[in-house]
Amino acid sequence: MKPTQHPKTSVLLFGAVLFQSLTLQAGNVREELADSKFRLVHEVYENNNWELFVTSADGKSSANLTNTPDVNELYPQASPDGAKICFLVDSGMGRATVRSLWVMNSDGTGRKKVTDRARQQCWAPDSQTIAFLPQEYPKFNVTDYYTRGISFHHLPSGKTREHVNTKPLHHLYNISYAPNGRWIVATVHAGMGHRHTNLLIEANGSKVINLGIGGCRPTFSPDGKHIAWGAGDHELAVVPIDIESDHPKLGKKVFQVFDKQNKIYHVDWSPDGRFLSFSRGPNGKGDITKPGTYEAACEIVGVHAKGWDIFAVKVARGGSVTIGHKPVYDWQPLTRNGYSNKESDWFLPPSK
Amino acid sequence: MSLQQFTGALGLLALGLANGCGPVPPSPATPQSITTTSGVPMIVIPAGSFQMGSDEHGADERPRHEVRLGTFLMDQFEVTHDLFVKAQLPNPSRWQDDSRKPVERVRWREAKLYCNERSLMEELTPCYDETKPGWPCDFTANGYRLPTEAEWEYAARAGSSRLYSFGGVAKIKANGWFADNAGKRTHVVGTRRPNAWGLHDLYGNVSEWCQDVYDPDYYKSSPAHDPLGPAEGIADTKRVMKGGSWKASASMCRASFRKGQRTGDTDACFFTDYCGFRCVRRVTAAEVESLQGKSSPEK
Repeated sequence: MKPTQHPKTSVLLFGAVLFQSLTLQAGNVREELADSKFRLVHEVYENNNWELFVTSADGKSSANLTNTPDVNELYPQASPDGAKICFLVDSGMGRATVRSLWVMNSDGTGRKKVTDRARQQCWAPDSQTIAFLPQEYPKFNVTDYYTRGISFHHLPSGKTREHVNTKPLHHLYNISYAPNGRWIVATVHAGMGHRHTNLLIEANGSKVINLGIGGCRPTFSPDGKHIAWGAGDHELAVVPIDIESDHPKLGKKVFQVFDKQNKIYHVDWSPDGRFLSFSRGPNGKGDITKPGTYEAACEIVGVHAKGWDIFAVKVARGGSVTIGHKPVYDWQPLTRNGYSNKESDWFLPPSK
Repeated sequence: MSLQQFTGALGLLALGLANGCGPVPPSPATPQSITTTSGVPMIVIPAGSFQMGSDEHGADERPRHEVRLGTFLMDQFEVTHDLFVKAQLPNPSRWQDDSRKPVERVRWREAKLYCNERSLMEELTPCYDETKPGWPCDFTANGYRLPTEAEWEYAARAGSSRLYSFGGVAKIKANGWFADNAGKRTHVVGTRRPNAWGLHDLYGNVSEWCQDVYDPDYYKSSPAHDPLGPAEGIADTKRVMKGGSWKASASMCRASFRKGQRTGDTDACFFTDYCGFRCVRRVTAAEVESLQGKSSPEK
């Protein structure tokens, strides 16, 4: 039987069904995030100062964790057990800036300095050791790969040691520890004989494996079975990896996030591995009229990124997602004020 | 012309007058070199005039026109890995096998930062104001900066009006590292013949950042005395890049060849592996005399 509806009616009906479909799915994702006890800690530039904020997984609530109008806090990393957050503090100005590594409880109490002239830190799986990259030279430079070697700070003992193979480790950035403790993944630029690539570095040995992928800022999934990274300015990607192997290799991309207009950076996994968060915003080189910031590519730590916000995307569904102008069922913004929201890190706060 | 450039031009004009920049002095028969207090060899580029651009090549090189410049110092060699590291800057270069090679993959801002670092090392006043957006250049400061494209071309020509200061295309191989002889890589600076004023690698190895905003029509309206380039824009405009490189054809090595190059200042990673630079600084005749007195005789 032929349909008797007017063509315009058909279009309207189809549109209504599609809208309902998207709305229902959007509701599902929002509910998933709304029910979640996960939190995200991230940088915000507000009132001429860098602060760390903690935002709920659905973005509906957010609080200033640091509340220090005279101190610039950056690059927060939550420990795997959710109990602590390590972060950077920039003191001073210009080339005299000292970037320091600090640690505190995830509720913002118990701040303690770990060391000066350090950056790009991450947690070891034991939640007691912080791996970090010492600054290349004493004079400050905002460049992300301005590093030499890897060091580890053990919080209970207060002792810091160098990586057993630290000498050749040069110009690394964005380190991430594998959950089995065996590997550290990092990006290298103009160092260690590489133009630019991503490396797998043995955490307690001298093995260094070139993963052979471009892009930057790789991070292990909580189960260690995948790596997510920025495959380009406008693409995030996920690939499988076998970290139990002596020579781990990457599989093919299983999930991608695209954004044709804005840059997308700083990808991070939710503790259950089902979501990714990332920073998103327009291209730019900062605004050095703002105190405590530098002029460089706006995705770099310490550079003001006007219009940048934190987003979350559901990774479990596979395939790819293209970020558009309106939120759809598989992605949504968690912050909306554009106050240079960057470098988000998920965590599950310990139960009180 | 912006206020910054206007005051800069006034300053350079004053320097030119202090140098006696009325009648055009003859080109020096032998290059005069000095070594800076931080140990960098530089050549004293005499005040004078020359014909800039070309009427026979690229549209952006037209019209050929006379330009007059005051005395300045220019690095004898492109800035090397050694110099970059001495300034405590992260070396971004693709080729890291010899620290005497020129730095490449250098963003425009990083080149300016190096200029300022060297100024500070030598207790000179930095030209670039790092506290203001875009790091505007104070041309009247006595520190190091990137050359204007007029300064660059004047130095590259070294008194010659030919396409290449040393003669025809056949002689490029002896005078510069370019696509036909470089083997797809950079080389240690100063390993090809210098030009008549003692400057090396202007015709190859890496292309060199200039201070000027790139405008293909600029020569149609540029001033005759110390042109500083078009007015600064707010946007991340292209900058002039001069000189051949390991990647360049013979035609791209010509003294008048110019290219508009994205600065890379908004890129987290800058992969343009032929972008290098060298520094200049304006000096008075009295300063030159003083610097020559401080330099050892063999230099």
